[in-house]
Order: sequence, then structure tokens, then C-alpha cells
Amino acid sequence: MSKYLLCAFVALLAVTGCKKKQSADYGLNLDETFRMHFQTEPPTLDWTKSSDTTSSTVINNLMEGLVTYDLNSDTLELQPGLAESWMSNRDASVWTFKMKKDIKWSDGVAFTAQHAADGLLRLLDPKTAAKYAYFIFGIKNAKPYSTGELKDASQVGIEVVNDHTLQITLERPMSFFPQLLTHVPTFPVRLDVIAKHGDTWTEAGNIVTLGPYKLKIWEHDKAIVLEKNDTYFGRPAKTPYILGYIINEATTARNMFDLGRIDAQMDLPANELSLLKERKEFEDQNILGIFYFGFNTKKAPMDNLKVRKAISMAIDKDEIVKMLGGGQIPLAGWIPKGMKGYDENMGLKYNTEMANKLLDEAGYKDRSTFPRITLAFNTNDNHKRLAESVQAQLKSKLGIQIELRNEEWKVYLESLQTDPPHIFRLGWLADIPDPDNFMNFLLSDSDNNHTNWGNPRFDELVIKAASVTNDAERMKLYDEAQRILVEQDIPVLPIYTMVETMMVNERVKGFPANAISQMKFKDIEITN
Amino acid sequence: MGGLALGLFIFSVLLSFLGYELPTALIWADVIVVLGFFGYYTYSQKIGAYVTKRLLEAGVTLFVIATLTFGLLRVIPGGPFDEEKALPPEVKASIEAKYNLDKPIYVQYGKYLLGLAQGDLGESYKYLGRPVSVMIAETLPPTFQLGIFSLIICYLIGIPAGLIAAARHNSWVDSTAMVGAISGVALPSFVVAAVLILLFSFEWSLLPAALWDGPTYYILPVIALGTRPAAVIARLTRASVLEVIHSDYIRTAKAKGLGYWTILFKHVLKNSLIPTLTFSGPLISGLLTGSFIIEFMFAIPGMGKHLIQSVTNRDYPLILGMTLLYSAILVLANLIVDLLYSYFDPRIKLDK
Repeated sequence: MSKYLLCAFVALLAVTGCKKKQSADYGLNLDETFRMHFQTEPPTLDWTKSSDTTSSTVINNLMEGLVTYDLNSDTLELQPGLAESWMSNRDASVWTFKMKKDIKWSDGVAFTAQHAADGLLRLLDPKTAAKYAYFIFGIKNAKPYSTGELKDASQVGIEVVNDHTLQITLERPMSFFPQLLTHVPTFPVRLDVIAKHGDTWTEAGNIVTLGPYKLKIWEHDKAIVLEKNDTYFGRPAKTPYILGYIINEATTARNMFDLGRIDAQMDLPANELSLLKERKEFEDQNILGIFYFGFNTKKAPMDNLKVRKAISMAIDKDEIVKMLGGGQIPLAGWIPKGMKGYDENMGLKYNTEMANKLLDEAGYKDRSTFPRITLAFNTNDNHKRLAESVQAQLKSKLGIQIELRNEEWKVYLESLQTDPPHIFRLGWLADIPDPDNFMNFLLSDSDNNHTNWGNPRFDELVIKAASVTNDAERMKLYDEAQRILVEQDIPVLPIYTMVETMMVNERVKGFPANAISQMKFKDIEITN
Repeated sequence: MGGLALGLFIFSVLLSFLGYELPTALIWADVIVVLGFFGYYTYSQKIGAYVTKRLLEAGVTLFVIATLTFGLLRVIPGGPFDEEKALPPEVKASIEAKYNLDKPIYVQYGKYLLGLAQGDLGESYKYLGRPVSVMIAETLPPTFQLGIFSLIICYLIGIPAGLIAAARHNSWVDSTAMVGAISGVALPSFVVAAVLILLFSFEWSLLPAALWDGPTYYILPVIALGTRPAAVIARLTRASVLEVIHSDYIRTAKAKGLGYWTILFKHVLKNSLIPTLTFSGPLISGLLTGSFIIEFMFAIPGMGKHLIQSVTNRDYPLILGMTLLYSAILVLANLIVDLLYSYFDPRIKLDK
């Protein structure tokens, strides 16, 4: 008897205490909502600490930097964000930013220059342990402060002149400094909010922002809902809600798109591209990213310039791009298409005759004496197809046999650090649309230069160009530096400028595709 | 006690399947009743010493697994903060200091064990500021739902199919059931899933192709995940039933004049479940910890992906947390299966 009583009691308790889970679309009106997907759960919405594209996408809609891009201009010109104006002293080593007035955070607190300074100092603070701290190492005393060597924050070149003025002093002149402040980790923060909630300050309900959208719901690993911020200081968002499902698998997202459950898909399944390209919803956008091969210039026979040249000239980039079928653009120089300094008329041209001649001269007239070299890539279907194409090309055109080696991503990264293979594949995505971002990681002391190559002239040119304020003069320096890379020393072989492919439902107008991949949703309109 | 546990469990599953959030009280009631059942069972069967021994062994096993995993993580190449854009040494140093990765390995290990003893699994390296225990608590429910629903489907289809096939040995029923079972065993879950999506979502527009928000969303992933084990169970049950059906005590039962169905359900079935039971240990833990592929294909917000992606990311605390959880479930499932052996077949003695 007691059994049944207990049963009945629990059942009653259960029914009264039960509520239905929220529906998949969170009760949002379809006509007011742009539905999309994220490829992964955002690793963090703490913008100071963020370092990945998914987090940036969400944050770029919640927040704004002092400076921002005109995403409608092809050259991504800078335009005022939180700052209404900025200027530097003559040699671009001291920068002054004037803030717009009457900007309010989503909790009603007025935005001041102090918040901007807090953001930069928090980025440097060793306790924050932010990955992008190095991004603003150009600021005076930033580096010693970030290692903990310098404890006194007031000695860092970040000064709040008054509520509306921020002055930044650099270690050395940097003509493109304002561009850095478009980057998510440099955004202003509210230390009071962070102190109040600790690590959970980024949860919906805790987080305080000032961009076109507010964070309404963040169901981890499941979905994110953004709601229009009515107190936003700029042009208000046109679509009231953004709903982003977290869908890891591209094929699943494509299913959702085809069934009308999401309005746009950003990463398309690579093996379906040829079919998807034929559809009217298909769009593509070249982005500021490159795919390249690096040569370990200390590993024989790659230490021989003629061998590097021969291999570079024997690879037909057009053929590779055609094989990949994703609309990638063959790249001759080092700077990607869409960025200042891009020049398609440089680099070694595809020429098998010349390539064979060079290889003969290098002492490998008898091809069988050519050592077995390794081309390495991280495990990925597309990289594999590309590597196999290169292998086939080198065999048929130069008569040399190369070995392919693939490694899991983190293992691969460690190999590159410890013992880079003869030829390795890598990519580089721009943080800012400035040539410096592409040139400086090949400086001889850069942690990202795995080629074991260094050229004092190249270093000199790149370092000098960073401080030159005259654009034409700067581009001349970059031009020479690029030619060292792709015509003279050949430590690297650029293959293509990356292209992002996407599908956008016809009911969406104003989808914000751009070269720097900053997805800002405020201009999206839903039509029916 | 067993009836109450079962009733409550079925009630919870039903409620959950209908898309209700289970109240915490009900979940606790489930846990208490199930534990109570096993406590009572242990007591009534006088296997207390055996169960205690097994539980202690389980503790040691988990400790060894935690230690081995901890050690292996430090051996495999590639660290959590190796990235495409290499971090400058200054930045890497502050990050490693934050997570104590700059300390000697025995200090790290000590700190980890100390945290573990307090139930603290640490913070994820990838999902910043998120405690591993919270991540598990948030992703466990969908995974458990998927697992339990699939498990129920497996038994509901597999056991009757096997039983009937054996009872109608060498008839068309038998052949049909076994052709189905062999196809089921041969088909990987992702193929079943793709076909189901194609038919039910695209062709007939009956069920959603992804997400996890109620009964209609549950059906396809549950079938996709359950098909293969259901087929295995059908085959195991059939083979076992065929063996039991020809045993002496069944002949005796027949000779006593017992009805055909009574013999089949009461005497044959119960004794035929041992192989299925053996298979159930790994099956339960496998289904409960989720199928990575099914969760991916249906965008289910479960923890299967963490099990895989944490390794790709070298997210040490998350890897350790997931490994321990998986091990704990496996160890417990096996213990429960062992306890149930003697329930289904009293000839099996557990106290040794």
C-alpha cells in the first residue's frame, strides 16, 4: 500500500513541478529573427580573452571598439566606433582618441575613456592570461607589464586624459595603430561587472555591453539568442533578433538550411561544394587569408635555393585551385587579394622547362639522386587532396618523388616548432587588414616563421614600413619585401587567397560578407 | 522495491520523452529508489561483502585510470596552447602560470588529485572560465536521454524479436527477423541516420532533421543509435533461447503440461538473458556516454563531442573529467550487470 502512496506522491510532485522545455525557436517571431548557426560553442564571450572566430562573431555584435571598419568599402577603411576622432603626433608614436559622448552601456552606465583604458590594461595583465596580449605589445612598457616584470600600471603608455580622451604612447612609431583597436580583445571592459560576477560575467543576465545587440540567451552547446539593443548609440539594428544554433557538423547545418530552419550557412561541406555552387543561394567572398607552403631552408636539399625555385615553378596553382573547386584565387605574391600591397604580377611564374633546368643546375641531373623529401600537412581532406596534387605534379613535371605525411593538428604544430619537415602547409588569417600583419610573422625572430630562414634586408624593410605614415612609400617597402619572399629567397610558396563560401536564404537582405570576416548582423533585413 | 524503482524509472523516462524538464526532486527520487533497490537486493541476497569489495575495486580502478590518463596527456605530443598563430613565450608563460602548467609535474598531479578529492575537476582550457563539472552537468542530460531511449528501444525490439525467431525456428518469421538483424548489425549508425533523415525529414517532412527539443526531435536519433545494438541483442537472444529450449528442464516443464507461452516467457526467456546481460554492460555505458557521431549528425547538445574534441584541443581537465566519467559509468554498469546475473540465473553465485 505504502508503495502506491509513494508512487502517487512522486507523480503528483513531478506533474506540478514540471515545465515544458523551451521550444527550439525560443518562441521568436520568424519575421523578426535571423537564424544562423555557429560551428562550435563560443569558447568565451569574454572579449579580452577571446582568440577565435566564433567568439569574435558574437562579440562583434554585442560590442564595439574605439575604431571600426566601414564594411561596405572594399578597402575596409577605418571609421569612428566609440571614438569620434583620433590623431597622432608627427611620427605616429603618440595617439590620442576622443570618445563620443552620450554612449551608454546596456545597464545605463555612461561609457568613458577609463573603460577603454581598463580594456587594454586587462588585456596585458598577466593574471588575465589573454592570448592576444602580444597584439598591443607596441604600447610603451606593455611587454614588461604583461610578464609581471613591471607592476606599476601607470607606467604603461595608456593614459586617461579626461572622461572622453585616451592617450596612448607607443614604444616606437606605428602608422597603423588605430587598426589594432578594431580587434575584439582590445575592446573596453567594465571592471565592476567582472568583479561582481567573476568568471560568469559573460552569461546572459550578467554581461553588460554597448553594441547593436544584447545577449538574451546563451544555452551552452545549444544556442545563442541576441536581442536588439535599444540604447545603442549608432544606427540601430534592422532585425530585432538573431538566433544562432550551435551545429558542429557542416552537413547537418546544410540539412537545416535546406529545410528552412536556418537562414544562412557559413561553412559549407567541402565535398558538396560543386553541387552547392550551382544554387542561387550560394555566395562567395574572398577573405584576407592565405594558404601557403613553407620550406625548411636548413634541411637538405631545401637549403639549395635552386631546388626551392624549381619546386615553386613546377607547381601549377591554377590546377590546384581548379581541383579544390571552392573558388580560391591563385596567389603570386605574399599579400592576399583584397589587401593593400596585393600584386598579382610578382613571384615566379609556372614554368616547367625553367624548373627542370634549375633542378639540373642544382646537381640533380640524374633525378634518381634527388633525396626523398617530405611534404607535411595536418590531417584534413582538403589538405590531403592538395598535397596529393602537388605530389603528382612534381612527379610528372620534375620527375621527383616526394613523400606525404599527415599529422593530427596539435602534433603537427609541435613538429613545426621542433623539427619542421622539408615542405609544410600552413595558413594565415588577417587579424587586421594591414600588410604588416602578413609580413611581420616572417621576420627572422618570429615564432611563426618555421622556415629557419631570415634575411636582414627583409627584416629592415618590414620594421621600417610599420612606422612609415605615407601610404605610397609604405607600399614600396612592402613591395620590395614581398619580392624577397617570392622571387629572391623563396622560403615560402604562396598558393591561394582563401575564399569563404556560404548559402544565404533569399528572405535575407544585407548579409554582411566581407574580407575580414567580421559578421555584423545589424544591417540584415528579413523580407518575405 | 524493484517494482517501485521500475515504475518510477518508466515514469521519469516517459515524462522526459514528452519534452518535460524533469524536476530535481524526481531525479533524486529515481536515484534513491534505484540505490535503495540495489541495497535491498544486496542485503537480501547476502552479497554485501561482494558488493563492498567490488565498489572498493571500482575506486582503485578509477584512481589508476585518473593517474594513467594524467600521465599519458603529458606524454602525447602537442600542448593545449599550441596554436596556428604561435603565442610569444611571454604570453604562453602567463597562460601556463594561470593553469599551474609551469609547476613540476608531481605538483600538478598533487593539485589535481586534491581537487578531485573535493569533487573539483578543474576548469576547461578551451571554454574559458567554465568548470568541467558544470560542462558535464549541462551536457549530460541530452546524452542520457538519447542513451536511455535508445537502450529501451534496443530491449523492446531486440529481445522479443530474438525470442520469436527462436520460437519459430527455421520458419519465415525466423528468417525475416534474422535477415533484419544481420542487416542491422552490418549498418553503422551514421548510415541509418542519413537514410532516416533523407526519408523522414526531406521526403516526407514528418520529423526534424536536427536539434533536440521534444518527442519529434528524439525519434530519429534514437532509432539511428538503437538499431545496431537492437540487432545484436536479437541475435544473442535467439541463439541463447535456442540453446535453452532444448535443455532438460524445459523438457520437464513441457512434460508437466505447462502451456507453450508460459514455458517460453517464464522459463526460457529468463534463462536466456545472460548473454544479453553480458552485452549490456558495455552497451549501457556506451549509449549513456553518447554516440559522438549521432550527436554530431543531429546537433544534439550532448557531451559526446567533448569526449572527442577535448582530445583534439588537448583540453587536459576536460579530457580527464570525461575519461573519469566514462570509466565510472562503465565500472558501475558492469557491476550492476554482474549483480543481475544471479537474479536471472540463481545458479550463478556472486559471493566468491
